[in-house]
Parts: sequence; C-alpha cells; structure tokens
Amino acid sequence: MTDLLPITLLSLQVSTLATLISLLIGLPLGTALALSKFPGRAFIMSLINTGMALPPVVVGLFVAMSLWRSGPLGDLKLIYTPAAIVIAQTIIASPVVTGLTAAALQQLDPRLRLQLYGLGASRVQMIFSLWREARLPLLAALMAGFGSVISEIGASMMVGGNIKGQTRVLTTAIVLETGKGEFETAIALSIFLLTITFLVNWALTAIQQRGRQ
Amino acid sequence: MKRLNLFLSLFVLLAVMLSACAPAATPAPANPDLILATTTSTQDSGLLDVLIPLFEAQTGYKVKTVAVGTGAALKMGEEGNADVLLVHAPASEAALMDAGFGKDRMLVMHNDFIIVGPADDPAKIKELGPKDAFAAIYNAGVPFVSRADDSGTNKMELSFWKKAELDPTTEKPAWYIESGQGMGATLTIASEKAAYTLTDRATYLANKGNLQLEILLEGDNALLNVYHVITVNPDKWPKTNYDGALAFAKFMTDPATQAVIASFGVDKFGQPLFYPDADRTDADLGL
Amino acid sequence: MTVLIEVRDLLVQREKKTVLEIEHLSVEAGEVLAVVGPNGAGKSTLFLTLARLLKAARGTIHFDGTSSLNTLEYRRRIALVLQEPLLMDASVKDNAAIGLRFRGISKAESDRRVGHWLGRLGVAHLAERPARKLSGGESQRVSLTRAFVLQPELLLLDEPFTALDAPTRLRLLDDLKSVLAETSTTTIFITHDLQEAAKLATRMAVMLNGRVHQVGEPRQVFAHPADAQVAEFLGTQGG
Repeated sequence: MTDLLPITLLSLQVSTLATLISLLIGLPLGTALALSKFPGRAFIMSLINTGMALPPVVVGLFVAMSLWRSGPLGDLKLIYTPAAIVIAQTIIASPVVTGLTAAALQQLDPRLRLQLYGLGASRVQMIFSLWREARLPLLAALMAGFGSVISEIGASMMVGGNIKGQTRVLTTAIVLETGKGEFETAIALSIFLLTITFLVNWALTAIQQRGRQ
Repeated sequence: MKRLNLFLSLFVLLAVMLSACAPAATPAPANPDLILATTTSTQDSGLLDVLIPLFEAQTGYKVKTVAVGTGAALKMGEEGNADVLLVHAPASEAALMDAGFGKDRMLVMHNDFIIVGPADDPAKIKELGPKDAFAAIYNAGVPFVSRADDSGTNKMELSFWKKAELDPTTEKPAWYIESGQGMGATLTIASEKAAYTLTDRATYLANKGNLQLEILLEGDNALLNVYHVITVNPDKWPKTNYDGALAFAKFMTDPATQAVIASFGVDKFGQPLFYPDADRTDADLGL
Repeated sequence: MTVLIEVRDLLVQREKKTVLEIEHLSVEAGEVLAVVGPNGAGKSTLFLTLARLLKAARGTIHFDGTSSLNTLEYRRRIALVLQEPLLMDASVKDNAAIGLRFRGISKAESDRRVGHWLGRLGVAHLAERPARKLSGGESQRVSLTRAFVLQPELLLLDEPFTALDAPTRLRLLDDLKSVLAETSTTTIFITHDLQEAAKLATRMAVMLNGRVHQVGEPRQVFAHPADAQVAEFLGTQGG
C-alpha cells in the first residue's frame, strides 16, 4: 500500500500546522485571560471551556457549510483542500490551547508578577518570564492541542472529503479501508496513527513527570 | 543562541507544513478544478481509482471525488456544490432533472443488486423472485439489515417492500436492522448477525473474503442498478465548471472508457463488476 | 544629606475606602527606614505604592528630585524583596541575574556582579543548584542577591525575614546590616518585628490605620511615643 506514507505525512502536516496556528492564537489569548481583568472575562472563559469540548464533526459541519460554493466563503475555493482541514482543526485545537495556557499561567503565584515588575521587568519581559516559568504546562497545552486534532475524523471528513492523494488523512483512510473490507490496510494505518499518538502522549507524560520533581 | 535555533527549527517546520497546502501545477484547461459527487459504493468498488487518473491524464482536469450518500450527492448537485454527479438512483435523478438542476444526463453502466444472507437460508428465498423474497423474509421474521441512509441501494430496497405492500421502516419490527452506513459496513453487520441484506454485486465481491454470506438471489431485471452521469446545470449555478463536467460525462460514455469499465474486476473476481451501457437507452434497461 | 524620596499628600483608596493617607514622608539618601505597625495599618499598601505597583488616587512621589519618571524608568532604579522569595524554575545563578537581563546588562558584567554578590551573601556554593531546592534562608539570600546585583538607588523590603525561623533570621539580619552599611543603599523596609527595626533602622516610622503617626530614631520613638495609640502599639510589642 504505497499510499501509507503520503497519508501519514499529510496527517502530520495538517495537524501540526493547525496546532502551531492554535498556539499563535491560544498563547496570547490564554495569557490575556489569565493575567488581565476585564468585563466579560468569566463569560469568555466559559466559552473557551465549552470550546474545549466541541465535537470535531460539528465543527466540520459548520466549516463545510461555510466553505461550500453555496456558502458565504465559497469563493475562496477552500472546500476539499488540506487548507480547509487546517482551518477546521485550528478551530478545534484553539480552545484547548487557550484554556490550558490560561490554566497554566493562573497556577503561578500571583505575587510573582509583582516581584518581576519590582526587579525592573517591562510588561513584555514579565510575560516572557512567566512563559518560561510555566514552560512545562505550556508544552503540555500544545501537545493536548495536537492530540485533539491528530485523531479526529469528523472535521477531516466533512471539509476534506477524503480525496485520494489530496485530502486523505490517517483517520479518514482507516474508515474508508474498513468500509471496503480492506482490514489489513486499515490496521496498518491504525498502527501508524497509534504510534504517533503514543509518542506524543509519552513525551507529554515525560514532561509532566520531570516538572513534578 | 538557543532561541535562534528554536526559531529556525520552527521556521523549517512551518515551511514543511505549508507545503501540504501548496497547490500543484496543472496544465491545459482554463478551470481545471472539478468536483465529482458520487456514492460511497461507487468509490468502494475501486472503479474510479482506475478511471479518474485516466481522465485527468487525458484532459488535464484535476478531479475532487467526493463520495457521500446518494442523498447528499444529489443535494450537492441541487446546491451547486458539485460540478458533475455519478449516481444510481434513477427515480430521484428524474426529479432532479425535472427541477432543472441537471443539464445533461447520460447512461453510463449498470451492475446489479443481489440478496445475500446466511448459507442455510432460513427464509427460503432461493427459488423466489425478489418481491416474494422480501415477503418471505418479512413473514419469517429473520434478521434483515437495511442501509437506511437514503442511498440508491436503500431506495431499491424500499421499492421492493412497497411492491410487496409491506412497511417495516414504519413498523420497525425487531428483525429489521437499520445500519445507516455504507455498503461495506452494512455487509459486515449482516454477516455478524447472520442476516439478509440487499447489496450491489461489486461491493459484495470486494468484501466476500471477510463475510459469511452467500448470494441467495440474483439475475432478476428488477435488480438492475443503473448509473448515470449528470452535469450540473450552469444556468442554475454559474460558478460550476460546466466544461469540465461535460468533458467528464463524455469521457464516461466514450467507447474506450466503456471498454475499461467492461474489463474492471475480471482478473480479481473472475467476472466484471460493471456492464457498460453507453450504447443503449434507459428503455433497454427497463427504466 | 539629600532627600532621595519624598511623599506628599498621598492618598490611596481601595474600593472607595481610604487605606493610606500620608501628608508627608521623606527618606534621605543612605538611610534605612523601618516602617512598623500592626496588620492592616497600611504598610504593604505604602510598600506597593512606593514601588509604583499600586496607583495613588492623589499625591506625588518625588524621587531624586523628580516626579515625572515613567514607571519603567523608576522601577529600574529600585529593587524589591518580598516576604516569599518567589524564585523561578531555573538555577540560582539565573535567578540572581534576572533583573540584569531585564536591563540588558552585558553577560560579562552580569556574571561578575552575580558572582560577587552570591559570595557576599554566602550562597556562592549554590550557584548551579536549581533554585527550587533551597531552604528558606538560602532562598531569601538569593532573593537579596537578586536585588543587590542591580545596585539599586532604593531598596524596598516587605517583611523579608518573617517566614524564617529565629536563628536563620538573626544570621540574615546581621549580614544585611553589614551589606547596607557597606553600600549605603537607601532602604525602606516593612516589618512588624520591633527588634528587627531597632537593629537595622536609622529611623523608624510607626503606621496605624493608614496614617504615619510618628517618625524618628528608634530609641527616640520608644522613649517618647507621640500619642496614646503609638504607645499602646509599642507597649504591646514590648520595647
């Protein structure tokens, strides 16, 4: 099954890109939520928490409806492309990264901020110091974000269309091969996927254990 | 220095990621992107994995084959979300054409449906015609798995219940199992539950090795599964790629392609999975 | 003797209630001012306001003759030591250098200062150790190092020894006293321990209910409390 490697590579590419974009969104947003007080903050936090539990297939449906030709963003011609999967997966992963970033920073001693300012930190330097201090839980947030998208199928199916050589990722390929009765291929793909998820979770556990020392 | 290395690795990583989204270079046609909506059973047969690359090589179009349920495929045509359809639900297709959503509709091929079930045939349908077979299953109360997903196969199944003047979909007796899934998954369920089911021959043959089901009824004209290719009407949806859709329709009915269709599956299953019909009419097939 | 920092007409409110009201308070360069008082007297509020971590509703703070320094410039001329050392998850050396990094001091100069001050405060042997693994006294020495490497014009300490056991506290007190004498660093430190105040301070300010009731040399204040409340506070603490 010569498609095994391209499919795995595509899965890794889209999910990693989605996770990185989620980091660009979630890190600043989570930091702002953790450190600032503004009206509506509690509301946004509960939105994020709800967002963390969004079913991927629901996200997929709404993104697909937006990207279809009959939808508002149809002219972008993004439906059934890897970019569409990245968009959907970013929507899935961003609340995860945001919520866990906020939690990670909220766990820091609130007086630490005062101490850092009192040693002459600018606002930016203070934030970078907090990020460095919380680097282990922030890394965990990143990996949780990745985990939330590498194994999802609903969104990939809806917005990607599982098109051979174009948008077929591990999860959609597994369902396809199973549906065709090609169990050996399905199992081979599953092993690839399991290996990836195992490696990510193993690294995550190792990081958390190190932080516990 | 460590920070610089981190940024560099992130940059390289990003570049590799983005290459996944980079569009491939395409030749000839002005608008090369074509969305073909078809059914899961058509895709699962593997026929398109042979035909699509041929079409792309010949014409330079880049086809996005989206395999969904029949209902969804027809809906995509109605909403302009696809350029061309390859489906097998003649009654529903007629409705689509009447409403003006399809421009050209050409007969492509057919395969047939068969009724499969446990080898010991508890409802004793082997010697009966399809209508009587369905009645026998109903009366014996033996398990039957329905696709229950508005697919072409499902529609055919429902037409037989109707002909026999029975209605298990409304009554929902315990023996009537609604899988809501594609043909492959439905066959697996039927196999596991020693149940009867209606299936297209192609999917059955492809999955045969994993199933404990036998062909119990075949060959009746009423069991023909007829495929048409329909171009979505650009008058309704100007954004569709009509040129590409028409090119695909012509390709599917072209004698050379028809010959490929006729030979598909012979080496693997000892018999063809599809029978080309471009040189015949709907009436020839009893439609 | 020049006045380094002068507070005029200061009013700080929290949720519409006045928690601090000081008409005038000045600290001269090189002196060590202890601010004492019971819990809730407003000592920490004064501390945070002097560090410009809390905004006053009214009033001015003149520092080195000017009241128009922006917050960052101001904060880079002072240094803070809090009750909890709050060290980061890094080596002792990196912790001590953090303020220097904020100011963009060169690595060579930073290493030199950190090396010197870790030695001066008796924790040079801990330089490579993860800061999280130190005892209370060791941590607080690192926190002090972190402040002194900055060569601050004003040092602010908020109950720096309260969380430590008695023998550790005494040793640190001695070390701090000699360092302050060597460097002539202007210092304001909050404490509720009058013995600490007596030992370290050149002058002492007694705060009660958000106001400064008396300022003077510790011996003077003990001998001649300005009013009944001060007397009561000093009396209950023993003197």
